Amino acid sequence: MSTLNTLLLGFISIVLINNLVFTKFLGICPYLGVSGRIDMAFGMGMAVTFVVTLSGTLTWLIDHLILMPTGLEVTRYVCFILVIAGAVQLVEMYVRKFFPSLYESFGIFLPLITTNCAILGLCLFINLWGIDKLLEAVVLSFGAGIGFTMAICIMAGIRENLNMADVPECLKGAPITLITAGLLTLAFMGFAGMIR
Amino acid sequence: MNYLELWNSAWPAGLTMLGLGSGFAVVLLIASVKLKVEVDPKIEQIQQALPNLNCGACGFAGCAQYAKGVSENPELLGRCAPGGPETTAKIAGILNLQISDSGPAERPIVYCRARTSDKNVYGQYHGIPTCTAANALANVQACKFGCLGFGDCISACKFDALHMVDGLATVDYEKCTGCGACSRTCPRNLIEMVPFSQENMMTVSCSSKEAGKSTRGMCKVGCIGCGICAKKSDMFTVEENLARLDYKKYERTEETEAAFNKCPTGVIIYVGKTAPKPRVPAKKAASVQTSE
Repeated sequence: MSTLNTLLLGFISIVLINNLVFTKFLGICPYLGVSGRIDMAFGMGMAVTFVVTLSGTLTWLIDHLILMPTGLEVTRYVCFILVIAGAVQLVEMYVRKFFPSLYESFGIFLPLITTNCAILGLCLFINLWGIDKLLEAVVLSFGAGIGFTMAICIMAGIRENLNMADVPECLKGAPITLITAGLLTLAFMGFAGMIR
Repeated sequence: MNYLELWNSAWPAGLTMLGLGSGFAVVLLIASVKLKVEVDPKIEQIQQALPNLNCGACGFAGCAQYAKGVSENPELLGRCAPGGPETTAKIAGILNLQISDSGPAERPIVYCRARTSDKNVYGQYHGIPTCTAANALANVQACKFGCLGFGDCISACKFDALHMVDGLATVDYEKCTGCGACSRTCPRNLIEMVPFSQENMMTVSCSSKEAGKSTRGMCKVGCIGCGICAKKSDMFTVEENLARLDYKKYERTEETEAAFNKCPTGVIIYVGKTAPKPRVPAKKAASVQTSE
């Protein structure tokens, strides 16, 4: 029961309270770049979720089974990037094979998941927070992906409506998007303090 | 320094990285075989035929996208400016298409010939050093139409074919591929893509639509809209105090030579690979007035 409780709390925490986009300001590049349309945003969110779950799990395993016993923690960053790059390549091939139209619309942003700081950030956070159970690491990684998907989908929904709105000339485009992102972040900051 | 100690602490790290790397390499290799996407071999052939400069003249993001686009829609044939007719012929060969002659290749012409010493300025501009920024300021220089000289077009050019010579953007026609990036960048729309039917083309190198007197006050070499050229040859028209050359009618005759020779400000010049030097007008233009 207590394990389930921890997992559930961890999941809610990473989705709402410690959301990587809203409170850690990681992964802003695709968050602003691919949030033009909600279907694309959802696709991006799914791709990131897959990559982050896979690389979060793998990096935990590598960290605990190889790096820590052999005292090679210094190579952590390099190893993590290696895992992420490999996972992204895998996703790219998969998406290209089975969702060609999605592949077209992603364009450069799909390979750019490699350098998406949300993913490396999460892998390092898992280590920083001292997560020592594999299951917790998996749930946290998956939750981070879901949190990212939620963030980018909310943003895309707002931006679709903004296209119809009467925005002042000087705020059109990037400025209003950034203001929206800031307000969203403020709203999500309100969750902080709910669970300690 | 104990190299042995250093080596002993380094090799496990190297070995781990090597092991991890090869592990992922094997997984990706299997995935790449299993998830292989069949690409139309024609697209690859077209891409090889293209110059692969990714200049964007065709309207696509790069050569790969253009290759895909042209293979699906043959109407897009002939958009590759750097490749020119040869590339178009190659692509047509790959796609089994007939090409019609699309006319001479286009090259940019800068409709201004005012160098720093020719221009009148009201003050020194110390703002952001780009034409786009400077153009937002009304009084950056006296002439509201002429070249600003900050070189937005030069940074847009991928072929090193534009240079700033005494504050005037000057095209190097030897290097120019006709991609049109400069023409799209210029905030004052000074650069036009013109079909070069001959190696050297005649042009009216001014854009000032001010009345003749105020043009003279701003610039030593501007067009005053006197209309002598239009009287000499049909090729020229004068609208809004500015002579223009109709490149659809372009033909070099005695009449156009007469217009060239009679132009009082010498604003009609030749541009191109081996263009002769601008003619110095017989009657020297009135000296530029100092600022009021």
